[in-house]
Amino acid sequence: MIKFLSLLFFLVSNSIFPVLEIEILKGSDNLSKVAFVPFGIESGIEENYGSQISKNIEKNMLLFGEFENLAVNEMLSYPSSENDFYYRDWKVLGVDYSLIGKVNSVNALGNLNISYSLFNINRRIKILEGEIVGSEDNIEGISKIISNRIYEEITGLRGIFDTKIAYVINSDADTYQMCISDIDGKNEQILFTSKAPIMSPDWSPDRKKIAYVSFENGLAEIFIQDLQSGERDSIQALGMTNSAPVWSPDGKSLALVVSFSGNPDIFLYSMNNKRLMRLTNHYGIDTEPSWSPDSKKIIFTSDRSGSPQLYEINTKSKRKKRLTRDGNYNARGRYFPDGKSIFFVHGNDGNFQIATKKLSSRYIETLTSTSLDESPTISPNGNIIIYATKDGSNGYLGGITLDGKSRFSLPVKSGSVREPAWSPLLN
Amino acid sequence: MNKALTSLNTFFLILLFLSLIFSMFSVPNLNIDEAQSIKINFYELIQQDEKLFDSSAPNTSVEKETKKTSAINKKTNTDETSIISKFKINKLGIKNEITKIKLSKEREDILRVSAIIQERISSIWIKPNSLSESLIAKVLINLAPSGEILNFSLIEPSSNTSFNESILTAMNKMTFFEEVLSLERKLFEQNFRNFNLVFKSSGEIQ
Repeated sequence: MIKFLSLLFFLVSNSIFPVLEIEILKGSDNLSKVAFVPFGIESGIEENYGSQISKNIEKNMLLFGEFENLAVNEMLSYPSSENDFYYRDWKVLGVDYSLIGKVNSVNALGNLNISYSLFNINRRIKILEGEIVGSEDNIEGISKIISNRIYEEITGLRGIFDTKIAYVINSDADTYQMCISDIDGKNEQILFTSKAPIMSPDWSPDRKKIAYVSFENGLAEIFIQDLQSGERDSIQALGMTNSAPVWSPDGKSLALVVSFSGNPDIFLYSMNNKRLMRLTNHYGIDTEPSWSPDSKKIIFTSDRSGSPQLYEINTKSKRKKRLTRDGNYNARGRYFPDGKSIFFVHGNDGNFQIATKKLSSRYIETLTSTSLDESPTISPNGNIIIYATKDGSNGYLGGITLDGKSRFSLPVKSGSVREPAWSPLLN
Repeated sequence: MNKALTSLNTFFLILLFLSLIFSMFSVPNLNIDEAQSIKINFYELIQQDEKLFDSSAPNTSVEKETKKTSAINKKTNTDETSIISKFKINKLGIKNEITKIKLSKEREDILRVSAIIQERISSIWIKPNSLSESLIAKVLINLAPSGEILNFSLIEPSSNTSFNESILTAMNKMTFFEEVLSLERKLFEQNFRNFNLVFKSSGEIQ
């Protein structure tokens, strides 16, 4: 009874004396500053390992311009355990997070035991502590795992440092290479070289295969290549040309474009029974399909209204919906990983830029400021878009974080880089 | 006897409940300046009172009445009392005008300090990347008259841990809101001794 009365009193008094409320909508444009302290080493262990690991982690974390670092020579101390760690040493340098670690031991098989801790300097708390065992031949791999964990802890998003990217390099006028590499451009592998154009690479959800279009036999044909064995299989679909293959997130089907007598439409190709099912049937050009994250809908480009616009089709009911109306060129649509927004190439007065649109909103927003952007692909954590763009005649890969704070370009390759496709995460 | 007590209890409960309902409807939830995103409910309440203080009507009637009395020169006792009371109203009108000016000055002060606090928090709050959902979290702040933050607590956290963490990190960077030193003590006590910061993310793609 007393509790009830006091609650009533609280409610009444609260509504009589409202508290001043100040709304904060805008955040800072500054980046979080992270100190990557060189890892310590136990005696008897190769001296370089400590600094190598922290340098790798630092490089990963700075790759997309999402963080700022503190130079090693500016640090006031180099702690490798919690006992030697003093918050004030980092607070005075304006550091937000500090990473320390130590290589504790190496066994007879060459496996390193590494421990690490991440501190939030402003809150004066340890926010992450971990231990990892890995081969001394795979320091890069170990660093990527630690980087992912730190990134997740700070941003709340999945780490993407162990993802890969597929792309086509057009090194001279008639040489095309289908390549994959780590997201930082390292460990490049050439999957296939051809004198004829290669296009539209797409990763299988298990990251074991890549589908792409090759013109090696004169017509557009879809090939699926196994990354382990290197084996290539062409999809024997009907029709004159087959193009734009995209794996469904559940891995059961490929959405693709089949052209019968010059009229491209969207079809589904079942990976199990190798059957083709028609999704669209229109005299206009329907192309560039892409799956929704729940594998239930497909977004595609169609010129049925007179100009290229984006449409969505339900794969079961086949009900269609027009998604874009701004301007006379909206193409190459893709869903965000949450399925609530899309990104695409938006053409305006001869400029082609990457734009985004919430499916619940009427408005589109352009992300990029370059003018010849194409083939956008999104990081599996939904935070970064990489796209192909041009500097003169040379194609390279540009990127932008969705908060707009960071714009970057990926390491330049020899030759023109086009058609990037970001791999899914490994679960 | 017991029955009588129970019914008395019930009567008080109903009375309290009615007072709760009444207070909820009688105190409107108001916005002073949407553009600046600062909500100060208390002052809109006073604004409504200001309308009651609108002294232009009684003033003119008093003037008319004064002319009338000087022209006729003789009137009954009741007329005299009415004149006196209207003079009183006139006096009240002037007093109200002063109150009005004072209130608008106070209002301005609150808005000014609130805007500075808003700007200072915005400049240090590093919003987590790519928040696709709409989020809202409320922090209660206790200030000393010197502007020192005595305490803060996340009284209404959002569903997103990173969003909550980013707010706590930003709040830990703040130690003083010395801007409140420019306020009158009464104004500080009424508005800034305890106040809320409402952090919002509209889920926009920037």
